[in-house]
Amino acid sequence: MKGARLSILGLTLSLPPLILVLVFVGLPIVIGFTFSLGFTKGPNRIISIIGQQIHVKDHWWGTFAAYSDVFHDSRFLGDLGLTLFVTLLSTILVILMGLAISIYQRLIRSKQASILVTLAIVPLFVPVVISAWAIHTFYGGDGFLRSFFSQFGINFPTLTSTSSAIVIGSVWTSLPFAILMISSGMQGIPDALIDAAKDCGAPIIRIVSHILIPLAKTPIIIAASFTAIGILGSFTIPLFLGPNQPTMLGVEISNFFGSYNRPQQSLVMAFIVFMAASGIAILYVWSNVKSAKESGRI
Amino acid sequence: MMKTEDGMGLELRGLKKILGGRVIIDDLDLSVSKGEMVSLLGPSGCGKTTTLRMIAGFLAVDSGQILVAGKDVTALGPDKRPSAMVFQNYALWPHMTAAKNVGFPLKIKGLSKIEIKEKVEAALELVNLLHHKDSRPGQISGGEQQRVALARALVQEPDILLLDEPLSNLDAKLREKVREDIRELQRRLGITTVIVTHDQEEALSISDRVAVMNSGRIEQFSSPQDLYRQPQTEYVATFIGSLNRFEGDLQNGQILGGTDVIGIRPEDLTISREPMEGSHSGIVELVIPRGHFFEVVVRRKDGIFRAFASENIPTFGEHVHVKIKKALRYQNGKLVA
Repeated sequence: MKGARLSILGLTLSLPPLILVLVFVGLPIVIGFTFSLGFTKGPNRIISIIGQQIHVKDHWWGTFAAYSDVFHDSRFLGDLGLTLFVTLLSTILVILMGLAISIYQRLIRSKQASILVTLAIVPLFVPVVISAWAIHTFYGGDGFLRSFFSQFGINFPTLTSTSSAIVIGSVWTSLPFAILMISSGMQGIPDALIDAAKDCGAPIIRIVSHILIPLAKTPIIIAASFTAIGILGSFTIPLFLGPNQPTMLGVEISNFFGSYNRPQQSLVMAFIVFMAASGIAILYVWSNVKSAKESGRI
Repeated sequence: MMKTEDGMGLELRGLKKILGGRVIIDDLDLSVSKGEMVSLLGPSGCGKTTTLRMIAGFLAVDSGQILVAGKDVTALGPDKRPSAMVFQNYALWPHMTAAKNVGFPLKIKGLSKIEIKEKVEAALELVNLLHHKDSRPGQISGGEQQRVALARALVQEPDILLLDEPLSNLDAKLREKVREDIRELQRRLGITTVIVTHDQEEALSISDRVAVMNSGRIEQFSSPQDLYRQPQTEYVATFIGSLNRFEGDLQNGQILGGTDVIGIRPEDLTISREPMEGSHSGIVELVIPRGHFFEVVVRRKDGIFRAFASENIPTFGEHVHVKIKKALRYQNGKLVA
């Protein structure tokens, strides 16, 4: 009896944040999803009146007409390809650089290693729009690199308005968090585990591949999933540094919603990005559950 | 590579280590015979773990030489030395099973999968843990983890086995059992072993010889019996076992004024209710049961005696007589008689 009362009390106490999430996050998602399926009444009425190329449901469950619009639009397919390519490449680069710096700091406990990690975290304190502008002035047509190389008669390529600039910007903005995550995981590995591997005759490369990386697997996966989700939905960096076409979906969603006045198609794209992010989130949850199981927490 | 005489398991010559501007190890010499089990015993900060880490190659020596099985290994890193270490907290890799932990050094050596499987199973069999080969370290007890760590060291077939406080994380009962297991295995395999411990009971019961360390130097290196019965320095006498310590000179059983230090082991005192020739009289202040004997604390006019008695145990407040059967005498900290 007492246990049941305690359970009810616990549930009641946890209700306010749950209700908050349901009302301010859950409900807009449901409303948005129904709108993408052609439900144009109720909360979707006004946007249906304002927007262009609005599809109205022709079945009880709605219609996939807006989805068909998007998938038959070659711009979207180009955008999706670029978004996935930039996300994948940037995440790989961020994790590789994060690993390299964290491993260096873990194995070589020197002042230089600490300075390197501190420097790598600096971008965390620089607003993205400032970073984007800095990258623009560095790699742009009249930027530092081109001006510098032109002094020696070298025609350095203009990287702004290309996918390379988005990758550079994404790496710049995502690296500090990845380093913080991976480096804290690496620092948590006791010296004795590394010494034991050395004692077994393992060279550094084996210590890294068989001991350090597997033991820091969970923070690495967390860093990778957060980085990928962040880049997948990024807006400022591709807007400032990326090409006009194809561009990343974050920018295209904004274009479809504002410039083209096609809110339904914009929502469809948002749901596709949401689905991709959910797939990455599952990886994150799986990693957490696996780690909890291994350590006996669940 | 320099060769030492045959039968030498480990030789340390003039080892010196300075850390943070402080001399941690100072001109340390040690010779361990092949197949011998030696303990480095001392209080925290005496340099015993530093010495072990230098032998293993984790710390570079500032000067001196380390020879293992006749080979000079001073310049080699830990991965190249013919030694294997069992760490204080076992240092088992939590993401690997017991079999993978034990098999790791063999994988590094490039052995085939079949060879690794055979050797791993043999090593786990040796420590009676074959049934736990697929368990991860988190799924087995501390004592079992210790044995996996031992198997991982033994599977490397090292010339010298190094144990860093291997029993300090185990409870008293298990510690005794694992201690016996280690000793039995070491004897059976005839492997030269150096064990670091701050527990004198552990050192005295497990070792062929014990090196008592103090401030980075070896105070005495001898058998457990000699260490207890003939401690060469006052430091060793007070560090090992119990000791009644007096300043003065001993003549006809009486302690007279002087600058020497007299040390008497509790079992070298006889307690009687009747006066004996040259005995000291006093009042029983404390009687402590120690299992099969009692420790009796007798207060006399200028100090106390701690004596061991197994029969005719006096009671609290009783008037008794204490006679000194044997004493150790130290001048300037060195044994003279």
